[in-house]
Amino acid sequence: MPTAPSILIVDDEFGLAEMLREMLREYGYDVSLAINGRLALDILKERPVDLVITDMMMPVMDGGELASEMRTSETHRGIPIVMMTSLPAAIPRQDPRFDAVLRKPFTPEHLLTTVRRCLDASPPANDSLPALNPRADALKVRDPDPSR
Amino acid sequence: MPESRPPARRPTGIAGLDRILEGGLLASGVYLVQGPPGAGKTILANQACFHHASIGGHAVYVTLLAESHSRMFGHLRRMTFFNEAAIPDHVYYIGGYSALASGGLEALVTLIRGAIQKHKATLLVVDGLISAQESSPTDQAFKKFLHEIQTLADLTECTVILLTNAERASGFFPEHTMVDGVLHLTDEVSELRPLRHIRVLKLRGSAPVRGLHSVRITDKGFEVRPRIETLSPQEPMREGVPRDDAKLGFGVAEIDAMLRGGFRQGAVTMLLGSSGSGKTLLGMQFLSEGIKRGETALYFGFYERPESILAKCQRVGIGGLNQGVEQGLAQLLWHRPVEGVIDELGESLIHTVRTLRPRRLFIDGMEGFERATDFPERLSHVYAAIAQELECLGVTTIYTTETRELFAQRIEVPIHGLSAATHNIILLRHIEHRASMLRVMVILKVRDDDYDGRMRELRITDHGIQLLDTFAAESRVASGGGVSNEMRLKDGEE
Repeated sequence: MPTAPSILIVDDEFGLAEMLREMLREYGYDVSLAINGRLALDILKERPVDLVITDMMMPVMDGGELASEMRTSETHRGIPIVMMTSLPAAIPRQDPRFDAVLRKPFTPEHLLTTVRRCLDASPPANDSLPALNPRADALKVRDPDPSR
Repeated sequence: MPESRPPARRPTGIAGLDRILEGGLLASGVYLVQGPPGAGKTILANQACFHHASIGGHAVYVTLLAESHSRMFGHLRRMTFFNEAAIPDHVYYIGGYSALASGGLEALVTLIRGAIQKHKATLLVVDGLISAQESSPTDQAFKKFLHEIQTLADLTECTVILLTNAERASGFFPEHTMVDGVLHLTDEVSELRPLRHIRVLKLRGSAPVRGLHSVRITDKGFEVRPRIETLSPQEPMREGVPRDDAKLGFGVAEIDAMLRGGFRQGAVTMLLGSSGSGKTLLGMQFLSEGIKRGETALYFGFYERPESILAKCQRVGIGGLNQGVEQGLAQLLWHRPVEGVIDELGESLIHTVRTLRPRRLFIDGMEGFERATDFPERLSHVYAAIAQELECLGVTTIYTTETRELFAQRIEVPIHGLSAATHNIILLRHIEHRASMLRVMVILKVRDDDYDGRMRELRITDHGIQLLDTFAAESRVASGGGVSNEMRLKDGEE
């Protein structure tokens, strides 16, 4: 049985990373979390992943710094990186460090399409699930508001 | 003895707030902004960050269990101060709750310290302080956290703004004693009108303008209007306000003769009268005469729209107003008489007068200010402040106010406190006279000047305003009980 593709989500905002993890797990991916770029690099040292999805602004080490570190690393330079941001203007259109940019808010379908494209269309372990909610197109995935 | 320098301040960029705060927040100060949800805390703090960025500073915005960043940006995008280009180089957003949840207050302080150093921040916002307090194992630990934030602010010369919800279960407020300032925001509804206010509860090292001040949230962001009565009036004789002894008249020979030429520069005159008594047209006649003389004129009204008034003036032969507007001599400002804020109206009036420098001003419907007041007891102070400022700015002002009764023996000024702020009073009203309704005018008061106190008929014709001696041989006209002197003699009154 093939192992599930692994994804590392890097985001400092409470709730959003957990929600993405649950969503991607439902689709059969193996997902881990880090709350900043430095902790993400620590995780990558322990076990390489197939894809990194990172926020831009974070404490300690931001998404741009994380991507730069990964691109100069012998072991991590080949890992595709998706940047999540609500401020796409802050990222140069052709930033070679990133394979894709996900603009918040995004739909679950857009997330899944981006993930699959970056993983070179490798199907997730649980791809046979009638995964997407029929209403998913209309449902924007926003950062959860944990105070509610 | 070394010369003491005033402490460095960081303006928030919110003009009214900076005025209340004596210029802004102290460079190493820690400030608490508290208020209920929707009072504008987040907007205020973000606006301060973007202003700080606009003058070359760096700001870090840390959210705890507050609005998520993308949701916040979604709301802020419609505000004119929001400048996406300043993110992330000058304004940097980070989430602090994960650190707080995993490592407690100690981890949060480490995160904040690291962010200040890394981004060379001189302004820090912590949004959702209540989460830090609730995560604190003891009151002492929370006090220690605040102390560490204070120390950090001192060491880095970073101004810190802490945002928190004022409505909380705990009665423990150590942050009030441990910060340099407390700004309290409120959001209430009065007679169906939303009213937001800001109040400085505490401000170390400053002499703030105390009390409640109006707040509005618009697409420009968080706007503060300090109470108009706290304005420092302009110096009366300062440069740019030329004084002369020439009187300003209506251009109606009979009225000007009664006033011995007109009003003195800087005088404030009340046109008191019932509905339809000719107040607005008389005020417009005053502006029209100024424009004919090449003077600048300002109309400031609440009820009739300017275009309607201009058309009416044209119909009755009060000319020159349209041309005055076209030539830039005259400006007509109209405000909806509802949903206003008295301080905003007052500021708009005074700002326009300071900018346009009109020689003549006509305020049509002083009740517009009354309707916009949050606290009626303020009105007399507000009028006094506005009148004083207008006088100091050298503008000669006429305003109208409406009496409630059309026919009455007793006439009261409808708005409390107006008379004290007024130099001259002219009464206009209707009277029944020989089975006809007539408009009458009488001068009740001219401060420090002689005047003709006779009652005259005011007639509005297609060719302008006329004053007639209809009642020369009668008495008690103003009270509505006019009787000829011949009759009085017959009745043996004299």
